[in-house]
Amino acid sequence: MRYGAALLGLLLAMAMLIRDDVSGARAPGAQGTHAVDFDAEVLPILAENCFRCHGGVRELSGLSLIYRDRAVQPAKSGVAAVVPFDAHASEMVRRINAVGGPKQMPPATNALSSHDRALLARWIDEGAVWEKPWALQEVRPQEQPRVRGASWMRVELDAFVLAEFEKQGIEPAQEADRATLARRLSLDLTGLPPEPLEVASFLADTRADAYEREVDRLLASPHYGERFARVWLDLARYADTQGYEKDLPRTNWLWRDWVIDAINADMPYDAFTTRLLAGDLLENAADMDRVATGFHRNTLTNTEGGTDNEEFRMAAVMDRVSTTWQAWMGTTFQCAQCHGHPYEPYSHREYYEFLAFFNQSADADADDDAPILKVESPAHGATSALVMAELPAAQARTTSVLLRGSFLAPGDTVTASTPSMLPTMDASLPRNRLGLARWLFDPRHPLTARVAANRQWETLFGRGIIETSEDFSLHPQIPGLLDHLASRLRALQFSMKAFTRELVLSATYRQSSIGSETSLARDPANRFFSRAIKRRLEAETVRDAALAVGGILTRTMHGPPVMPAQPAGVWATVYNGEDWKTSEGAAATRRSIYTYWKRTSPHPQMLALDAPSRETCVVRRTQTSTPSAALATFNDPALVGAARGLARRVLVHGARDLRAHAARMFHAALAREASPRELDRIIAFIEAERLRFASDTVARAAFLGEDAARAPDADESEYAALASGANLILNLDEFLTTK
Amino acid sequence: MLSNDAKILQLEAATRRRFLCDAGLSLGGVALASLLGGASSSLADGDGVPSTGGFKPQHHFAPRAKSVIFIHCAGAPPQHDLFDLKPALDRYNGQPCPDEYLKGEKFAFIKGHPTLLASPFKFAHFGRSGMELSTLLPGMGSIADELTLLRGMKTDQFNHAPAQLLMHTGEARFGHPSMGAWLSYGLGSATAQLPSFVVLVSGDKTPDAGKSVWGSGFLPGQFQGVQCRTVGESVLYLDDPRGTTRASRRAALDAMRDLNAMSPFADASTRARVEQFEMAYRMQMSVPEATALSSESAETLALYGATPGAASFANNCLLARRLVERGVRFVQLFDWGWDAHGTGPNDDLLHQLPKKCLETDRPSAGLVLDLKRRGLLDETLVIWGGEFGRTPMVEYRNGVKTFIGRDHHPHCFSMWMAGGGVKKGLVYGATDELGYFATEGIVHVQDLQATILALLGFDHERLTYRHAGLDQRLTGVTKPSRVVHEIMA
Repeated sequence: MRYGAALLGLLLAMAMLIRDDVSGARAPGAQGTHAVDFDAEVLPILAENCFRCHGGVRELSGLSLIYRDRAVQPAKSGVAAVVPFDAHASEMVRRINAVGGPKQMPPATNALSSHDRALLARWIDEGAVWEKPWALQEVRPQEQPRVRGASWMRVELDAFVLAEFEKQGIEPAQEADRATLARRLSLDLTGLPPEPLEVASFLADTRADAYEREVDRLLASPHYGERFARVWLDLARYADTQGYEKDLPRTNWLWRDWVIDAINADMPYDAFTTRLLAGDLLENAADMDRVATGFHRNTLTNTEGGTDNEEFRMAAVMDRVSTTWQAWMGTTFQCAQCHGHPYEPYSHREYYEFLAFFNQSADADADDDAPILKVESPAHGATSALVMAELPAAQARTTSVLLRGSFLAPGDTVTASTPSMLPTMDASLPRNRLGLARWLFDPRHPLTARVAANRQWETLFGRGIIETSEDFSLHPQIPGLLDHLASRLRALQFSMKAFTRELVLSATYRQSSIGSETSLARDPANRFFSRAIKRRLEAETVRDAALAVGGILTRTMHGPPVMPAQPAGVWATVYNGEDWKTSEGAAATRRSIYTYWKRTSPHPQMLALDAPSRETCVVRRTQTSTPSAALATFNDPALVGAARGLARRVLVHGARDLRAHAARMFHAALAREASPRELDRIIAFIEAERLRFASDTVARAAFLGEDAARAPDADESEYAALASGANLILNLDEFLTTK
Repeated sequence: MLSNDAKILQLEAATRRRFLCDAGLSLGGVALASLLGGASSSLADGDGVPSTGGFKPQHHFAPRAKSVIFIHCAGAPPQHDLFDLKPALDRYNGQPCPDEYLKGEKFAFIKGHPTLLASPFKFAHFGRSGMELSTLLPGMGSIADELTLLRGMKTDQFNHAPAQLLMHTGEARFGHPSMGAWLSYGLGSATAQLPSFVVLVSGDKTPDAGKSVWGSGFLPGQFQGVQCRTVGESVLYLDDPRGTTRASRRAALDAMRDLNAMSPFADASTRARVEQFEMAYRMQMSVPEATALSSESAETLALYGATPGAASFANNCLLARRLVERGVRFVQLFDWGWDAHGTGPNDDLLHQLPKKCLETDRPSAGLVLDLKRRGLLDETLVIWGGEFGRTPMVEYRNGVKTFIGRDHHPHCFSMWMAGGGVKKGLVYGATDELGYFATEGIVHVQDLQATILALLGFDHERLTYRHAGLDQRLTGVTKPSRVVHEIMA
C-alpha cells in the first residue's frame, strides 16, 4: 500500500513538476491554514540544513533534494525520502523527528526546530509541491497595490515601496532639497559633481517640471555613457593587459569606447546584449558590431611559458559562460562546472550543454590574442580590437562534459542547449551565440529583465532590491517591486535611459538620506529604502569628482588609455619589461575610465577605493572604509593638485577675502552653502596655514610645486593656504559620499 | 556560519546591531547569513566596518599561534636539491625516467623523453633530530630542531600563476580572498597602529599571479594585504604632501573631524571614516617606526644579514619580526627568483640556486632564532616554501646542455613550518624512490591551509563568508580537506 501511495505521489509529482504558477490549484492546508509555500518556506530549510550533503555536489546515501523526482525515488537504502501526501511514510520525516537518536537528520547538534519539522511534514502531506524557485518563475504582471498616502507617489513604482512602508509603519523621508538632488543626480547619472552654475540654474528654475528637465539634461550628457560604462567594464573584466604571469599589454580600448557610445545612444538592452554576445553573427555585421563582441574577448590570455593553450582556452570559455550567467542571469552557474550546482536546479551536464554555445569561437589562448580586427578610427588612426569569430564548420569542435571540470577528462559529448529549468529555446533560433542572445530576451525568460532592472536600481539607489545581485536565490524584500520594474523595462522596450528616468523621477529616489523617526526606528538598516542610502563614491568617481571640482578635469572622451601618476615602483611584473610612463599635461587628468588598467597591478588609488582587479566578472563592488583609502585621497599628489586647482578657481574672483573664497570652495565641492560655524572652522585652519606659508616660503614653494607659476593674481601664501583648505574639503565625508 | 554571524555582529556598529534586534529576524540561517555576510554593500548604509583595533577574535578552539609569517619562494624551489635527498637519482643519473611515471603526464617545458637528474649538491644530517638537508642550507640546518619539514606536499596546478593562487586563495582561478585576508577577517587586528595583513616583496618582482595573491577577493576590501616596502615610500601614499608638516596635517585632521561632525549628513559611517583617517595618521608614525631597521643592534642585523636601506629578503625577514612584534597578524613574504629551468645562469641549479640560498638561508634561520630568543616563536607560525615542486628530471631548455634546471612538478614538494604549535625536529611525509610522487604523509595545499587555520584557532569549515549563495571558505566548498594533526605539538 505504501508503494501504491508512492507511485501515486510520483505521478502527481510529475504532473506538478511542470506547474509554474504558485497561485494555481493546490490542496488546502491540513489544518485549514495556508498551504505551505515551497519556495518561501521549505526551500530555505532544505538549503540551510540538507543541501550540504544531499545537494548537487554531494549526494550521500544516493539522495539529492535539489529535484523532486530524485527526492521521491528510493535512495540507496531502498526507501524514499519523500512520499508525497504521506509524511508518515516519508523517510525524511522519520529522520528529522529522530531527535537525539543515531538516525537523526541533520545529525548531531543540528536538529531542526519543531516548527521546521512540522512544516516539512505538513508540506509532504499536502503533496510535496516542488515549485521552481521564485526567480525561475516567469515575471508576473503586478497590480498596483492599494495605498493610503497616494499623494506621496510620483511614479507607479512608488506604490510598491509605499505599500511596504505602510505595512511596516514607516513614514518616508522628506524629499531632499534641490541642491542635494542636483548633486545626487549629477553623480548618479554622470559620475561627476554638478558645476556651481548648474546648481544655481537648477535652483533658479521655477517651472513645474524643473526636476524632469534636470534629469533629461543629465541623461543627454555624454558623461552618462562614461558613468554607466564603468558598470559594464567590471562585468566584462575589461583591462588593458592580458593577465596572468606576463600580463602583457593588450589593445582593446575600442570596445570600451563602443560601450560608452552604445549607452549614450541608448541602444536598447536587447540590441546591446546581442552585439556584446554575438555581434559577429548578425547579418551584414558591421565592424562596430564585431568590436562589440570584444566583451567576451576580455578574458585572460596566459602567455606564461609552458602553459597548455587548450587548458587556458577552456578556462576562457568557462569564464565566458560564468560571466554570461552573472551579468544577464544573476546566477553563479560556474558551480556546475565540476558537479551539479550545489543549490540551484542545474546539472553538471547542462553546464556543458550551455558551454557548447561558446566553444566554437576561433580564439585559442594565442600570444597574439587572435582573432583581431584592424579598424581605422577617425580620431585615432589605425588601431585594432579583439573580436569573436566562429570557427569554419569544418573545424567545429566537439563539446564534452568535463569530469571535475578538467579539460583532460572529457566525458559524454553534448550539443548546445539551454537548461531545462529555463524556457526552451525556440526552434527557429540558431544554436549559436546569436540564438543564445535572442533566447535571453524570450518574453518567458524569468531572469534577464529582473537582473537588468535590479542592477540599474542598485547602481542608482546604492543597493539592489535583491541585494545579492550576483545571486537571485534570495527573496526580494519588497514584494512585487522587482517584477513591476522588470515588466516596465520590457514595456519601455529595454530603453535603459527611459527606465533610468523612471527610477530617478520616483519619490523613493528623491527622499533625503536623513530618515524619518519611524524610518530610523523600524528600518534602521534601510532594507525598505525608507531614506536615500548615503554611500561612498566609487573609486573612479572619487578621483573624477576631485579633478572636476578642482577645474582640472580633462573631459576629452575615447581613445587609448592614459597613465596618470602613480607612486614609483608599483609596476614590477615578472617577464614583462613594461613601464608606467606617466602621462603629461591634459592627459594626466582625464576621467578614470580612461586610466590604463593592468590586471596584476591596477592603479593603487583605485585598488585602495575598492575597485576590482578585472580578472573576473564583478557584479557588485563592496565598499569599505580603510586607512589605505584615507591615505590615497588625502596624500595623493594628483589630488593635492586638484586642491590647488580649486583654490585658483575661487581666486579668479579677485576679492581678497579669504572667507568668501572658502565659502565658494565649500559650495563648489558640496553643492550647499557652508553654515557660519562651518565657515569659521575652515577659516581658522586656512588662516593658520596662511601664517605658516608666509613664514615658511620653502614649504610654500613645495606645496605649490609646479603650480606656483600658475598662481593667479594673489598672494602666494593665500593661494597655498586656500589650496591646503581645499585639500581638507576634498576629503570631507560629505564630499566622498552621495548624500 | 555561526562564526560569520558572530564576526559581523561584533564588527559592526551599533546601528546595524540594532537592526537585527529590531527586525526580529526569525529567518532561517541561510537568509540571516546572507543578510549579514553577503550583504557587505549594506555597510554603505551608515556603517564602515572598523577594520582594526580592539577586535576580539571568535576562535573555534584554542589557538596555538597568534600570527603567521609565510615566506613564499615564488617560482618554486627544487626539493631534490634542498630538502628531499634521493640517492636513487645518483644511481640513475642521466637515464630515462621510467615509463610508468610518465603515463598521462604533461610538462611545462621538458620535451621528449625526460632523463633523471642527480642533485649536484651534498646533503648532511643536522641537529639532534638528524634532519637531512642540503649543505646549501647551513642556516636552516642550524634550526633543524625547530622545524617540521613536510616532504609530502602536493598541489593540482603546475603553472605559476594558478598554483600561486591555489596556495594563497585555495582556488586556482581569480576572485577569491587570500589566506591573509581570511585571517584578518577572522582575527581582526591586535593593533590600532598597523594593518593586520602586511605584504613584503623581494627579488625585484611581484609574484606571477599579481596582487591577487594578497587580495581580498569577495571579502570586503579592508581585508586585503597592505604592501610595505623597505625602499621608497614604505606604504603607498603614506608620505604627507610636500610642503606640509606633521603639525599642519594634525591641524587639518582636527578641522576635518569638526567639520564632519557639523555636517547635517553626519551619521555612523561618518564616524567610521574619521576613525580611518585617524588610523592613517597613526600609521604615518608607526609604519616608519616599524620599518626603521637601523634601530636594530648590529648583532641582530648580522643574525639576518640585513642592511638597512636596501631592498632585500633579509631586510624583509627582519621587518616581518618587527611587524608581528607590533601586533600584525599575517605577514606575507614573496621572494622572486626560484624558477630554476636552466635556461641561463640566472635561473639554473648551479649558479642561481646557490645564490638564492645564500640570500635566503641565513635570514630565514635568523628569523626563527630571533623570534625564539624573544619568546615570540611559540605564538608565531613561520611557513617556508614554494607553489609547487620541481621534477626529478633534468630540463635542458631547447636541448642546450650548458645549464641545468628542473621543470614544474605538482606531485610532490617540500615546505617547512616552525613555531606556532608545530612539532620540533619532525620530518613528516615522504616521496617515492625518485621523488616523483608523494607516498606518505601527503599534505595537499588545501590540507596545509586547513592546518594553518587550525593552528590559528579556526575550523576551516566554519570560517565562512556568504557569497554568491554559498558559505565560502578558504579551503573551497566542494572537497574535504584534512587538518594534519600529526604535526601539531
